[in-house]
Amino acid sequence: MTMASLQHADPAAGAPTRGATVRPAFVRRGWWLPYALLAPSIVFLVLFTYLPIVRVAVDALREVPHAGGPSRFVGLANFSAVLGDPAFIKAATNNLIYAVGTVVPTILLALLFALAVRRSNAFTAVLRVVLFFPSLVPLVAAASLFFFIFLPHLGLLDHYLRMVGLRGPNWLGDSDVALWSIMGITVWKNAGYYMLFYIAGLQNVPRDTIEAAMIDGANGLQRLWYVLLPALAPTTAFVVVIALVNVLTSVDHVVVLTRGGPTNATNLVLYYIFQEAHENFNYGKAAAATLMSVAVLLAISLGSVRAMERGGRGVA
Amino acid sequence: MWRDRGLAPMLLATLVAAVAFVWAAPFVWTVVAAFRPDGAGSVGMASLVPDLNPTLSNFRNALDSGSFGLYYFNTALVVSGVLAVQCVTISLAGYAFARLTFPGRDVLFYAFLLQLMLVPPALIVPNLRTIVDLGLYDSLAGAMAPYFASAFGTFLMRQTFLAIPRDFEEAASMDGAPWWAIVWYVLLPMARPGLVAFAIVSVTAHWNEFLWPLMVINDPSNHTLTIGLAAFTRGAEGGKEWGVLAAGTLLVVAPLALAFVAFQRRFVDSFVFSGIKG
Amino acid sequence: MKSTRRWTMAAIALATGAGFAGEPLAQTKIDFFFPVPVEGKLAREMTRLVRVYNDSQKEVEVTAVYTGGYDDTKLKAQAAAKAGKPPAVVLMSANFNVDLKLSGDIMSLEPFLKAGGATREKFLGDFWPALHANATVDGELYGVPFHNSTPLLYYNVDHFKQAGLDPARPPQTWAELADAAKKLTKRDGDKIERYGFQMPGGYDYLGWLMSALSMSNGGRYFNQDFGGEVYYDSPSMLGAVRFVDDLIHKHKVMPPGVVEAGGVSTAFFAGNASMVLLSTGSLSFIRENMKAPYNVGFVPRNVRNAVPIGGASLVMFKGQSEASQQAGWKFITWLSSTETLGGWSRFTGYFAPRRSSYDTAEMKEFIARNPDAKVALDQLPFAQPWFSTYQTVAVRKALEDEVQAVMNGKKKPDAAVKDAQKKADELLRPFNDQTSLKLP
Repeated sequence: MTMASLQHADPAAGAPTRGATVRPAFVRRGWWLPYALLAPSIVFLVLFTYLPIVRVAVDALREVPHAGGPSRFVGLANFSAVLGDPAFIKAATNNLIYAVGTVVPTILLALLFALAVRRSNAFTAVLRVVLFFPSLVPLVAAASLFFFIFLPHLGLLDHYLRMVGLRGPNWLGDSDVALWSIMGITVWKNAGYYMLFYIAGLQNVPRDTIEAAMIDGANGLQRLWYVLLPALAPTTAFVVVIALVNVLTSVDHVVVLTRGGPTNATNLVLYYIFQEAHENFNYGKAAAATLMSVAVLLAISLGSVRAMERGGRGVA
Repeated sequence: MWRDRGLAPMLLATLVAAVAFVWAAPFVWTVVAAFRPDGAGSVGMASLVPDLNPTLSNFRNALDSGSFGLYYFNTALVVSGVLAVQCVTISLAGYAFARLTFPGRDVLFYAFLLQLMLVPPALIVPNLRTIVDLGLYDSLAGAMAPYFASAFGTFLMRQTFLAIPRDFEEAASMDGAPWWAIVWYVLLPMARPGLVAFAIVSVTAHWNEFLWPLMVINDPSNHTLTIGLAAFTRGAEGGKEWGVLAAGTLLVVAPLALAFVAFQRRFVDSFVFSGIKG
Repeated sequence: MKSTRRWTMAAIALATGAGFAGEPLAQTKIDFFFPVPVEGKLAREMTRLVRVYNDSQKEVEVTAVYTGGYDDTKLKAQAAAKAGKPPAVVLMSANFNVDLKLSGDIMSLEPFLKAGGATREKFLGDFWPALHANATVDGELYGVPFHNSTPLLYYNVDHFKQAGLDPARPPQTWAELADAAKKLTKRDGDKIERYGFQMPGGYDYLGWLMSALSMSNGGRYFNQDFGGEVYYDSPSMLGAVRFVDDLIHKHKVMPPGVVEAGGVSTAFFAGNASMVLLSTGSLSFIRENMKAPYNVGFVPRNVRNAVPIGGASLVMFKGQSEASQQAGWKFITWLSSTETLGGWSRFTGYFAPRRSSYDTAEMKEFIARNPDAKVALDQLPFAQPWFSTYQTVAVRKALEDEVQAVMNGKKKPDAAVKDAQKKADELLRPFNDQTSLKLP
């Protein structure tokens, strides 16, 4: 994929051929200019991204035995140890369920929210604040609040469920339910944030189309769906990448609420890495698991960027 | 029924209002609980109805466990320091990726994106080593430095610049303006929504960050808000003072929430015009 | 000041607030990392204590660094050490000592004892016997106990009266516990409105409480002298797991699944649980927040009375300059003095690790005023060392995962303890290969 094709992806970028024919003078200013512009970022990326990756990669190939003995080169043994660890397999499976189970509802809700509050008035102003508020709360604090919300019998959820004659499960302590409760927090926390992207994305859709479709009832909704989907494809691809990266790189709520329990029911890959590195002194295994998760994330992101490119063309 | 005029929007509004109620419940509870006496546990503690005799003691307890004035100041310093440097790095890089052609551009762009994929726990030790080598250990600058480059911000600014028609730059360059003048006087003002949109993301993220500041900072006079908040959230031996926790959470969130309430329209508009639509 | 009994002199001088009038030494600055185990206000009290120390002498200036929870503190201290900035003194969860010694993070405190002319036996003599095992690794002193706890049975006096139980006599045995729990549990048809008994089931706490139950069932849980053995697949542990299983699934007096400690204390405050097993470290917290009258009792026994120790000790990290090491030890000596430990104990609810702390007038008066603290103190002679092995957390988790599965009704106790033992043995194998199985 080329950068030119990525530029095409943006419908607002204007006629794609234009930049090629009339180039601003400064583009010819000197070969070094782009690199000079990137240099400040690259300095920090080298220090805090590439250097650590190299260090992690070196760690992944070595073993520093906690039980004693010299550290040594072990080739890919750490990778096979991770893949052969039932706890990792469980965490990876959980992570898959967690990723799909949070990203899909979060995006649907974000779109729904965006449709509802896309225009500015007093009512939507309140709604926007309410829906966006969870994004402002630190995940550590949100998790502590949800500890209370999910308390058996006494918590917010059970308190109000009881009023309508229902009885909730042990939200965080039942191994069949806990992961879904954790997912609920993630959806609550992120939907309002992605809503902002969809409010922006909806600008690509002619307002009349939305209004007409809505007034038209069920058929209209159906039509809206078919108009919206392709028009919002670039936004969706963008949000999917951000959302996936987000759900795979934040586990504060797991740390605060369940520490991966009961019986690993809520363990996720990132927390597995955390445990191996910082609780079990298995730095090699942690490094190997880190590299694998980076590889998976990178593959997903590249895939999404490609999808974004295709989606963009569909509109342009 | 379905065909009635305006039913769908109404249905949508009702649905969203119901969801909004669910969304707001934790926040409402936080506010109510923060003013409720007997914050550690009682039968009616989950009620969303405010108590008749509100108390400020939860706030007093929360404020008592740390120097919150100092924490606000330090957090504001970290957040604005990170943002200021980021604005420079991401504008320059975003411009380069959006407007210039050069060998290795694609590779560099993906190399930037790699930053998004790295998981924080794996970076604690390597990054701490780097911070020590740079002489930034136990300083607010050390808490900021790893975030000075932002892949997300670069990506966002690139999209923003791409969304700006080239006519303006062309006109300016015909007049003989140098590239930096064009960027400064023409492009950046037009890209301001992009920067504002990024600012929300950046400020929220760093305002709420816990683990990294905890790792870098020792000196209590450099502590940030989330470290103060941890005093209520990290208790190990079973104590959960819900009232104090709620009050503490409000103390941390309040500045951001007030800012969002005050500027939500401009924020949202910024997102609309930032080019992050895709 | 260079006398052989320097540390005792220093302790006395500093504890009484008398300043040091030694030769003009350059002031040594050191960092002290401490977690807050229960409530936020403990952080402020610790900062105050350190300020008292700094004002009391001119040679050492300590920066008190609040470092989150126990796990955050360990993570931060280890990361700082790896990055070349080891903290001088850390208040560390006491069962990490074996692991931290193995990873080469913490240093033996023996040289300081020698320099002070004290032996380990003499130094530890004033500390409760149960604390000695966690303070030493392979026969050397690595940690100085600072605050400690054991599990304790808390119960609601009103509920006892309603159920016709004598609130002055808590259940002493497992049979009495089960019986009382049945009477205390309030049912509405199939629904349970109030549970007779609850205990935290989250990681860390659960392992601690299972060791309490297996120990009071006559067991040992782990080898106190050697980090390579645990006794999960043993009759004493099997009995303990079956007891928990019965309380949940047979007697239905305890909620199924896992409830974290915060949930258990909240349920106790709200009157939703009549008896709870929680740490003595929560004593002050419960005293302040429990509105209904409550009382405390020993952890009930099946075979014998026994409870594990919990808590934190002061350790020093390797990689310090000679001056910081000396300063760190000086500070530890002050912080672990009879008076300081006693004051901290009264403030937090933890018990003081030094027996002499209980001989002071303030402490006697405090114990007289707080009968619940007296019960916790009376249980101390039955205390056993805290679970600590090679890879402590993972080995503990091997049991906890299985017990949680039992609590969720996913597994039977017999299979659970077998699988826990298998997993633990696997984890411990590299250590045994380097120690017990490394033959000439």
